[in-house]
Amino acid sequence: MNRRDFVAIGIIIILSTLGFLFFNLNRSDGEKVKISVGSKTYGTYSLSENNEIKVKTDSGFNTVIIESGSVFIKDADCRDKYCVNQGKIKNGSIICLPHRLVVEIEKDDSSIDAVAR
Amino acid sequence: MKKVIPSFILLILILCACSPSSYSYSDDFFAMDTYMTLTANGVDAEIAVKKAEKEVQRLEGLLSAHDKKSEVYKLNKKGSGKLSDDTLAVLKKAIEYNKLTNGTLNPTMLQITELWGFPSGNYRVPEKSEISDALNLARPDKISIKNNEVEFKTDGIKVDLGAIAKGYTSSKIVEIFKKNGIESGIINLGGNVQTLGTKPDGSLWTVAIENPDEGGDYLGALKVKDKAVVTSGGYERNFTKGGKTYHHILNPENGYPAESGLSSVTVVCDDGTLSDALSTSLFVMGKNKAVKFYKESDKDFDIILYTNDGKLYVSQGIADNFNSQLNFEIIKKD
Repeated sequence: MNRRDFVAIGIIIILSTLGFLFFNLNRSDGEKVKISVGSKTYGTYSLSENNEIKVKTDSGFNTVIIESGSVFIKDADCRDKYCVNQGKIKNGSIICLPHRLVVEIEKDDSSIDAVAR
Repeated sequence: MKKVIPSFILLILILCACSPSSYSYSDDFFAMDTYMTLTANGVDAEIAVKKAEKEVQRLEGLLSAHDKKSEVYKLNKKGSGKLSDDTLAVLKKAIEYNKLTNGTLNPTMLQITELWGFPSGNYRVPEKSEISDALNLARPDKISIKNNEVEFKTDGIKVDLGAIAKGYTSSKIVEIFKKNGIESGIINLGGNVQTLGTKPDGSLWTVAIENPDEGGDYLGALKVKDKAVVTSGGYERNFTKGGKTYHHILNPENGYPAESGLSSVTVVCDDGTLSDALSTSLFVMGKNKAVKFYKESDKDFDIILYTNDGKLYVSQGIADNFNSQLNFEIIKKD
Protein backbone atom coordinates (compact mmCIF):
# COMPACT_ATOMS: atom_id res chain seq x y z
CA MET A 1 0.00 0.00 0.00
CA ASN A 2 1.28 3.47 -0.77
CA ARG A 3 0.76 6.78 1.00
CA ARG A 4 -2.53 7.54 -0.74
CA ASP A 5 -4.01 4.31 0.53
CA PHE A 6 -3.15 5.28 4.09
CA VAL A 7 -4.71 8.71 3.55
CA ALA A 8 -7.82 7.04 2.18
CA ILE A 9 -8.04 4.66 5.12
CA GLY A 10 -7.50 7.57 7.50
CA ILE A 11 -10.36 9.50 5.92
CA ILE A 12 -12.57 6.43 6.02
CA ILE A 13 -11.87 5.90 9.72
CA ILE A 14 -12.61 9.54 10.51
CA LEU A 15 -15.83 9.45 8.47
CA SER A 16 -17.08 6.25 10.03
CA THR A 17 -16.21 7.45 13.52
CA LEU A 18 -18.24 10.59 12.83
CA GLY A 19 -21.07 8.43 11.52
CA PHE A 20 -20.91 6.21 14.58
CA LEU A 21 -20.95 9.21 16.91
CA PHE A 22 -23.85 10.77 15.01
CA PHE A 23 -25.98 7.68 15.37
CA ASN A 24 -25.03 6.83 18.91
CA LEU A 25 -24.57 10.13 20.72
CA ASN A 26 -28.26 10.82 20.51
CA ARG A 27 -28.83 7.75 22.61
CA SER A 28 -29.32 8.37 26.25
CA ASP A 29 -27.13 7.67 29.15
CA GLY A 30 -29.42 6.79 32.01
CA GLU A 31 -33.12 7.26 32.38
CA LYS A 32 -34.87 10.14 30.72
CA VAL A 33 -38.23 11.82 30.77
CA LYS A 34 -39.62 12.63 27.36
CA ILE A 35 -42.45 15.12 27.08
CA SER A 36 -44.36 15.31 23.84
CA VAL A 37 -47.40 17.24 22.72
CA GLY A 38 -49.40 15.73 19.87
CA SER A 39 -46.78 14.06 17.72
CA LYS A 40 -44.01 16.57 18.51
CA THR A 41 -41.34 16.17 21.16
CA TYR A 42 -41.51 19.09 23.58
CA GLY A 43 -38.36 18.23 25.48
CA THR A 44 -36.26 15.48 27.03
CA TYR A 45 -35.04 15.71 30.61
CA SER A 46 -32.95 13.63 32.95
CA LEU A 47 -34.91 11.56 35.46
CA SER A 48 -32.15 11.90 38.03
CA GLU A 49 -32.22 15.71 38.14
CA ASN A 50 -35.08 17.41 39.97
CA ASN A 51 -36.91 19.70 37.62
CA GLU A 52 -40.11 21.65 37.14
CA ILE A 53 -41.29 21.98 33.56
CA LYS A 54 -44.27 24.14 32.74
CA VAL A 55 -45.61 22.92 29.42
CA LYS A 56 -47.71 25.63 27.80
CA THR A 57 -49.58 24.93 24.60
CA ASP A 58 -52.61 26.34 22.82
CA SER A 59 -54.82 23.93 24.77
CA GLY A 60 -53.51 24.98 28.20
CA PHE A 61 -50.77 24.10 30.65
CA ASN A 62 -49.43 21.11 32.57
CA THR A 63 -46.77 21.49 35.25
CA VAL A 64 -44.52 18.45 35.18
CA ILE A 65 -42.35 17.75 38.22
CA ILE A 66 -39.33 15.47 38.21
CA GLU A 67 -38.36 14.66 41.79
CA SER A 68 -36.13 11.96 43.26
CA GLY A 69 -36.47 9.65 40.30
CA SER A 70 -40.21 9.91 39.93
CA VAL A 71 -42.45 12.07 37.77
CA PHE A 72 -45.84 13.62 38.38
CA ILE A 73 -48.04 16.42 37.12
CA LYS A 74 -48.50 18.98 39.87
CA ASP A 75 -51.10 21.09 38.19
CA ALA A 76 -52.99 21.43 34.91
CA ASP A 77 -55.97 23.31 33.55
CA CYS A 78 -57.40 20.35 31.61
CA ARG A 79 -61.02 19.35 32.07
CA ASP A 80 -60.62 15.92 33.65
CA LYS A 81 -57.39 16.23 35.72
CA TYR A 82 -56.65 12.54 35.19
CA CYS A 83 -53.01 13.48 34.61
CA VAL A 84 -52.78 15.17 38.04
CA ASN A 85 -54.73 12.38 39.75
CA GLN A 86 -52.47 9.71 38.34
CA GLY A 87 -49.87 10.77 40.91
CA LYS A 88 -46.20 9.80 40.92
CA ILE A 89 -44.81 7.29 38.45
CA LYS A 90 -41.42 5.61 38.33
CA ASN A 91 -42.00 3.90 35.01
CA GLY A 92 -44.49 4.00 32.17
CA SER A 93 -46.23 7.21 31.20
CA ILE A 94 -48.69 9.92 32.18
CA ILE A 95 -51.07 11.02 29.47
CA CYS A 96 -53.25 14.12 29.42
CA LEU A 97 -55.77 13.45 26.68
CA PRO A 98 -57.40 16.90 26.52
CA HIS A 99 -53.99 18.53 26.02
CA ARG A 100 -52.56 15.65 23.96
CA LEU A 101 -49.60 15.57 26.32
CA VAL A 102 -47.49 12.47 26.89
CA VAL A 103 -44.90 12.28 29.66
CA GLU A 104 -42.90 9.12 29.22
CA ILE A 105 -40.11 7.60 31.27
CA GLU A 106 -37.54 6.09 28.92
CA LYS A 107 -35.26 3.45 30.30
CA ASP A 108 -32.24 2.14 28.42
CA ASP A 109 -32.46 -1.37 29.70
CA SER A 110 -36.22 -1.58 29.48
CA SER A 111 -37.32 -5.06 28.63
CA ILE A 112 -40.98 -4.02 28.65
CA ASP A 113 -42.60 -3.83 25.22
CA ALA A 114 -45.96 -2.43 26.33
CA VAL A 115 -47.96 -1.71 29.47
CA ALA A 116 -51.54 -2.98 29.77
CA ARG A 117 -53.66 -0.60 31.84
CA MET B 1 -6.84 -4.54 -6.02
CA LYS B 2 -5.18 -1.67 -4.16
CA LYS B 3 -8.20 0.47 -4.84
CA VAL B 4 -10.68 -2.25 -4.03
CA ILE B 5 -9.48 -2.86 -0.47
CA PRO B 6 -10.12 0.67 0.86
CA SER B 7 -13.52 0.78 -0.83
CA PHE B 8 -14.39 -2.51 0.76
CA ILE B 9 -13.29 -1.32 4.19
CA LEU B 10 -15.26 1.87 3.68
CA LEU B 11 -18.41 -0.09 2.91
CA ILE B 12 -18.03 -2.31 5.98
CA LEU B 13 -17.31 0.62 8.28
CA ILE B 14 -20.28 2.63 7.04
CA LEU B 15 -22.58 -0.34 7.49
CA CYS B 16 -21.29 -0.90 11.01
CA ALA B 17 -21.58 2.76 11.95
CA CYS B 18 -25.15 3.12 10.78
CA SER B 19 -26.53 -0.33 11.65
CA PRO B 20 -30.14 0.63 11.06
CA SER B 21 -32.66 -1.51 12.92
CA SER B 22 -34.07 -2.47 9.57
CA TYR B 23 -37.71 -2.91 8.69
CA SER B 24 -39.20 -1.79 11.95
CA TYR B 25 -41.68 1.05 12.00
CA SER B 26 -43.55 2.61 14.87
CA ASP B 27 -45.98 5.47 15.14
CA ASP B 28 -48.00 6.98 17.96
CA PHE B 29 -51.08 9.16 17.77
CA PHE B 30 -54.25 10.16 19.59
CA ALA B 31 -57.52 8.48 18.57
CA MET B 32 -60.65 7.00 20.19
CA ASP B 33 -60.13 9.23 23.21
CA THR B 34 -56.81 7.60 23.97
CA TYR B 35 -53.13 7.41 23.04
CA MET B 36 -52.08 4.69 20.64
CA THR B 37 -48.75 3.19 19.58
CA LEU B 38 -48.45 0.82 16.63
CA THR B 39 -45.24 -1.08 15.86
CA ALA B 40 -44.68 -3.44 12.94
CA ASN B 41 -41.60 -5.43 11.99
CA GLY B 42 -41.18 -6.55 8.39
CA VAL B 43 -40.33 -5.26 4.95
CA ASP B 44 -43.55 -3.26 4.59
CA ALA B 45 -43.72 -2.13 8.21
CA GLU B 46 -44.22 1.55 7.40
CA ILE B 47 -46.96 0.87 4.86
CA ALA B 48 -48.72 -1.48 7.27
CA VAL B 49 -48.62 0.98 10.19
CA LYS B 50 -49.89 3.85 8.04
CA LYS B 51 -52.74 1.75 6.67
CA ALA B 52 -53.60 0.65 10.20
CA GLU B 53 -53.65 4.25 11.38
CA LYS B 54 -56.14 5.11 8.65
CA GLU B 55 -58.25 2.13 9.65
CA VAL B 56 -58.33 3.35 13.26
CA GLN B 57 -59.60 6.73 12.09
CA ARG B 58 -62.20 5.11 9.86
CA LEU B 59 -63.48 2.88 12.68
CA GLU B 60 -63.53 5.79 15.12
CA GLY B 61 -65.68 7.67 12.60
CA LEU B 62 -68.16 4.79 12.65
CA LEU B 63 -68.16 3.67 16.28
CA SER B 64 -67.82 6.83 18.37
CA ALA B 65 -70.87 7.51 20.53
CA HIS B 66 -70.04 11.23 20.69
CA ASP B 67 -68.99 12.17 17.16
CA LYS B 68 -72.11 13.64 15.54
CA LYS B 69 -71.13 12.21 12.17
CA SER B 70 -70.69 8.63 13.39
CA GLU B 71 -73.04 5.77 12.57
CA VAL B 72 -73.59 5.01 16.24
CA TYR B 73 -74.48 8.63 17.02
CA LYS B 74 -76.95 8.75 14.14
CA LEU B 75 -78.47 5.41 15.14
CA ASN B 76 -78.93 6.63 18.72
CA LYS B 77 -80.56 9.83 17.53
CA LYS B 78 -82.96 8.19 15.12
CA GLY B 79 -83.62 4.91 16.92
CA SER B 80 -83.17 2.94 13.72
CA GLY B 81 -80.96 2.76 10.69
CA LYS B 82 -78.88 0.76 8.28
CA LEU B 83 -75.39 0.04 9.56
CA SER B 84 -72.12 -0.69 7.80
CA ASP B 85 -70.68 -4.18 8.24
CA ASP B 86 -68.13 -3.06 10.82
CA THR B 87 -70.55 -1.20 13.08
CA LEU B 88 -73.00 -4.07 12.81
CA ALA B 89 -70.30 -6.62 13.67
CA VAL B 90 -69.32 -4.69 16.81
CA LEU B 91 -72.95 -4.21 17.86
CA LYS B 92 -73.67 -7.92 17.39
CA LYS B 93 -70.60 -8.87 19.41
CA ALA B 94 -71.63 -6.45 22.16
CA ILE B 95 -75.07 -8.06 22.36
CA GLU B 96 -73.55 -11.56 22.25
CA TYR B 97 -71.14 -10.71 25.09
CA ASN B 98 -73.99 -9.14 27.07
CA LYS B 99 -75.60 -12.58 27.14
CA LEU B 100 -72.31 -14.42 27.66
CA THR B 101 -71.48 -12.33 30.74
CA ASN B 102 -74.98 -12.43 32.27
CA GLY B 103 -75.47 -8.73 31.61
CA THR B 104 -72.27 -7.50 33.31
CA LEU B 105 -71.25 -6.03 29.96
CA ASN B 106 -74.04 -3.82 28.71
CA PRO B 107 -73.73 -1.82 25.47
CA THR B 108 -76.78 0.36 26.23
CA MET B 109 -75.46 2.25 29.27
CA LEU B 110 -74.64 5.50 27.42
CA GLN B 111 -77.24 7.64 29.17
CA ILE B 112 -76.10 6.51 32.59
CA THR B 113 -72.42 7.12 31.88
CA GLU B 114 -73.35 10.58 30.61
CA LEU B 115 -75.34 11.27 33.80
CA TRP B 116 -72.12 10.68 35.77
CA GLY B 117 -70.24 13.02 33.42
CA PHE B 118 -68.11 10.42 31.59
CA PRO B 119 -66.34 11.17 29.33
CA SER B 120 -67.20 14.89 29.06
CA GLY B 121 -65.74 15.72 32.47
CA ASN B 122 -68.89 17.39 33.84
CA TYR B 123 -68.84 15.05 36.80
CA ARG B 124 -71.66 14.79 39.32
CA VAL B 125 -73.40 12.14 41.38
CA PRO B 126 -76.81 11.69 39.73
CA GLU B 127 -80.09 11.46 41.65
CA LYS B 128 -81.34 7.92 42.26
CA SER B 129 -84.45 8.62 40.16
CA GLU B 130 -82.34 9.75 37.20
CA ILE B 131 -80.34 6.53 37.35
CA SER B 132 -83.39 4.29 37.60
CA ASP B 133 -85.03 6.10 34.66
CA ALA B 134 -81.90 5.64 32.56
CA LEU B 135 -81.57 2.00 33.64
CA ASN B 136 -84.99 1.32 32.12
CA LEU B 137 -83.43 2.22 28.77
CA ALA B 138 -80.35 0.02 29.24
CA ARG B 139 -81.98 -2.85 27.38
CA PRO B 140 -79.83 -4.57 24.74
CA ASP B 141 -82.59 -7.18 24.40
CA LYS B 142 -84.78 -4.46 22.87
CA ILE B 143 -82.50 -4.03 19.87
CA SER B 144 -83.78 -5.77 16.76
CA ILE B 145 -81.37 -6.63 13.96
CA LYS B 146 -82.41 -7.78 10.50
CA ASN B 147 -79.61 -7.99 7.96
CA ASN B 148 -77.97 -4.57 8.29
CA GLU B 149 -81.13 -2.85 9.57
CA VAL B 150 -81.19 -2.04 13.27
CA GLU B 151 -84.18 -0.83 15.21
CA PHE B 152 -84.67 -0.03 18.91
CA LYS B 153 -87.95 -1.55 20.13
CA THR B 154 -87.98 0.84 23.09
CA ASP B 155 -87.72 4.60 22.49
CA GLY B 156 -84.68 6.28 23.96
CA ILE B 157 -82.21 3.39 23.90
CA LYS B 158 -78.66 4.57 23.22
CA VAL B 159 -75.84 2.21 22.39
CA ASP B 160 -72.24 2.72 23.43
CA LEU B 161 -69.72 0.35 21.88
CA GLY B 162 -66.81 1.92 23.76
CA ALA B 163 -66.22 -1.15 25.94
CA ILE B 164 -65.21 -3.30 22.97
CA ALA B 165 -64.42 -0.82 20.16
CA LYS B 166 -60.69 -0.79 20.92
CA GLY B 167 -60.55 -4.57 21.12
CA TYR B 168 -62.27 -4.85 17.75
CA THR B 169 -59.95 -2.21 16.31
CA SER B 170 -56.85 -4.09 17.47
CA SER B 171 -58.12 -7.25 15.74
CA LYS B 172 -58.60 -5.27 12.53
CA ILE B 173 -55.08 -3.87 12.80
CA VAL B 174 -53.71 -7.41 13.11
CA GLU B 175 -55.58 -8.28 9.89
CA ILE B 176 -54.02 -5.31 8.11
CA PHE B 177 -50.56 -6.17 9.40
CA LYS B 178 -50.94 -9.77 8.18
CA LYS B 179 -52.25 -8.67 4.77
CA ASN B 180 -49.11 -6.58 4.37
CA GLY B 181 -46.83 -9.48 5.19
CA ILE B 182 -46.11 -8.43 8.77
CA GLU B 183 -45.54 -11.36 11.10
CA SER B 184 -44.31 -9.43 14.11
CA GLY B 185 -45.87 -6.40 15.73
CA ILE B 186 -47.26 -4.87 18.87
CA ILE B 187 -50.32 -2.68 19.09
CA ASN B 188 -51.05 -0.54 22.12
CA LEU B 189 -54.40 1.24 22.03
CA GLY B 190 -54.30 3.23 25.25
CA GLY B 191 -53.31 0.22 27.33
CA ASN B 192 -55.25 -2.36 25.30
CA VAL B 193 -52.30 -4.39 24.08
CA GLN B 194 -52.38 -6.80 21.15
CA THR B 195 -49.31 -8.73 20.05
CA LEU B 196 -48.74 -10.32 16.66
CA GLY B 197 -46.27 -13.20 16.49
CA THR B 198 -43.07 -12.84 18.48
CA LYS B 199 -40.39 -10.18 18.56
CA PRO B 200 -38.16 -10.17 15.45
CA ASP B 201 -35.54 -12.23 17.30
CA GLY B 202 -38.13 -14.92 18.02
CA SER B 203 -38.48 -14.16 21.72
CA LEU B 204 -41.83 -13.51 23.40
CA TRP B 205 -43.22 -10.02 23.93
CA THR B 206 -43.14 -8.66 27.46
CA VAL B 207 -46.32 -6.90 28.50
CA ALA B 208 -46.25 -5.26 31.92
CA ILE B 209 -49.47 -4.93 33.90
CA GLU B 210 -50.02 -1.50 35.44
CA ASN B 211 -50.24 -1.34 39.22
CA PRO B 212 -53.38 0.54 40.30
CA ASP B 213 -51.71 1.51 43.61
CA GLU B 214 -49.97 4.86 43.29
CA GLY B 215 -46.20 4.78 42.96
CA GLY B 216 -46.10 0.99 42.90
CA ASP B 217 -44.04 -1.06 40.50
CA TYR B 218 -45.88 -3.05 37.83
CA LEU B 219 -48.14 -5.87 39.07
CA GLY B 220 -45.97 -8.10 36.96
CA ALA B 221 -44.73 -8.80 33.48
CA LEU B 222 -46.30 -11.32 31.16
CA LYS B 223 -44.53 -13.06 28.25
CA VAL B 224 -46.86 -13.63 25.28
CA LYS B 225 -47.15 -14.12 21.55
CA ASP B 226 -50.23 -13.69 19.35
CA LYS B 227 -52.31 -12.57 22.32
CA ALA B 228 -54.40 -9.61 23.35
CA VAL B 229 -53.72 -8.35 26.87
CA VAL B 230 -56.42 -6.00 28.12
CA THR B 231 -56.67 -4.50 31.59
CA SER B 232 -59.68 -2.78 33.15
CA GLY B 233 -59.58 -0.83 36.36
CA GLY B 234 -61.32 2.00 38.10
CA TYR B 235 -58.03 3.81 38.71
CA GLU B 236 -57.75 5.39 35.28
CA ARG B 237 -60.88 7.45 34.85
CA ASN B 238 -62.58 8.67 37.96
CA PHE B 239 -63.50 11.71 40.02
CA THR B 240 -63.84 12.51 43.71
CA LYS B 241 -66.85 14.22 45.29
CA GLY B 242 -67.49 14.57 49.01
CA GLY B 243 -64.46 12.46 49.82
CA LYS B 244 -65.67 9.51 47.74
CA THR B 245 -64.10 8.38 44.47
CA TYR B 246 -66.39 7.41 41.61
CA HIS B 247 -64.88 5.55 38.67
CA HIS B 248 -66.11 4.99 35.13
CA ILE B 249 -66.91 1.26 35.13
CA LEU B 250 -70.59 1.18 36.02
CA ASN B 251 -72.46 -1.86 37.25
CA PRO B 252 -75.33 -2.40 34.78
CA GLU B 253 -77.41 -3.84 37.61
CA ASN B 254 -77.69 -0.57 39.57
CA GLY B 255 -76.04 2.15 37.46
CA TYR B 256 -73.39 2.94 40.10
CA PRO B 257 -69.61 2.47 39.79
CA ALA B 258 -68.90 -1.22 40.28
CA GLU B 259 -67.57 -1.88 43.77
CA SER B 260 -66.71 -5.51 43.54
CA GLY B 261 -63.52 -5.51 45.59
CA LEU B 262 -61.33 -5.72 42.49
CA SER B 263 -59.03 -2.88 41.54
CA SER B 264 -57.75 -4.33 38.27
CA VAL B 265 -58.65 -7.18 35.91
CA THR B 266 -56.52 -8.36 33.00
CA VAL B 267 -57.79 -10.75 30.35
CA VAL B 268 -55.40 -12.52 27.99
CA CYS B 269 -56.70 -14.29 24.88
CA ASP B 270 -56.35 -14.59 21.10
CA ASP B 271 -59.36 -12.41 20.41
CA GLY B 272 -58.92 -8.70 21.19
CA THR B 273 -62.65 -8.01 21.25
CA LEU B 274 -63.33 -10.80 23.74
CA SER B 275 -60.44 -9.68 25.96
CA ASP B 276 -61.82 -6.15 25.99
CA ALA B 277 -65.36 -7.32 26.81
CA LEU B 278 -64.31 -9.77 29.53
CA SER B 279 -61.92 -7.39 31.30
CA THR B 280 -64.80 -4.98 31.88
CA SER B 281 -67.37 -7.61 32.83
CA LEU B 282 -65.10 -9.57 35.18
CA PHE B 283 -64.26 -6.29 36.91
CA VAL B 284 -67.98 -5.75 37.50
CA MET B 285 -68.45 -9.36 38.69
CA GLY B 286 -65.82 -9.24 41.42
CA LYS B 287 -63.26 -11.89 42.35
CA ASN B 288 -65.47 -14.84 43.27
CA LYS B 289 -67.85 -14.57 40.33
CA ALA B 290 -64.95 -13.85 37.96
CA VAL B 291 -63.10 -16.99 39.08
CA LYS B 292 -66.31 -19.01 38.73
CA PHE B 293 -66.87 -17.55 35.25
CA TYR B 294 -63.29 -18.44 34.27
CA LYS B 295 -63.66 -22.01 35.53
CA GLU B 296 -67.00 -22.63 33.85
CA SER B 297 -66.47 -20.81 30.55
CA ASP B 298 -65.82 -22.76 27.38
CA LYS B 299 -63.97 -19.74 25.94
CA ASP B 300 -60.18 -19.93 25.90
CA PHE B 301 -58.77 -17.08 27.99
CA ASP B 302 -56.63 -16.35 31.02
CA ILE B 303 -56.98 -13.82 33.80
CA ILE B 304 -54.99 -11.72 36.27
CA LEU B 305 -57.05 -10.29 39.16
CA TYR B 306 -55.84 -7.72 41.69
CA THR B 307 -58.03 -6.95 44.68
CA ASN B 308 -58.48 -3.72 46.64
CA ASP B 309 -56.68 -5.34 49.56
CA GLY B 310 -53.63 -6.14 47.43
CA LYS B 311 -54.11 -9.83 46.62
CA LEU B 312 -53.00 -11.07 43.22
CA TYR B 313 -54.51 -14.06 41.35
CA VAL B 314 -53.23 -15.50 38.06
CA SER B 315 -54.88 -18.30 36.08
CA GLN B 316 -52.93 -21.45 35.32
CA GLY B 317 -52.60 -20.97 31.54
CA ILE B 318 -50.27 -17.97 31.93
CA ALA B 319 -48.83 -18.51 35.41
CA ASP B 320 -45.54 -19.92 34.06
CA ASN B 321 -45.08 -16.87 31.84
CA PHE B 322 -45.95 -14.32 34.52
CA ASN B 323 -43.25 -12.74 36.63
CA SER B 324 -44.04 -10.63 39.66
CA GLN B 325 -42.36 -9.36 42.78
CA LEU B 326 -45.68 -9.85 44.52
CA ASN B 327 -46.90 -13.19 45.75
CA PHE B 328 -49.73 -14.56 43.69
CA GLU B 329 -52.16 -17.41 43.90
CA ILE B 330 -52.71 -19.60 40.84
CA ILE B 331 -56.30 -20.19 39.77
CA LYS B 332 -56.81 -23.64 38.29
CA LYS B 333 -59.55 -24.72 35.93
CA ASP B 334 -60.25 -27.79 38.17
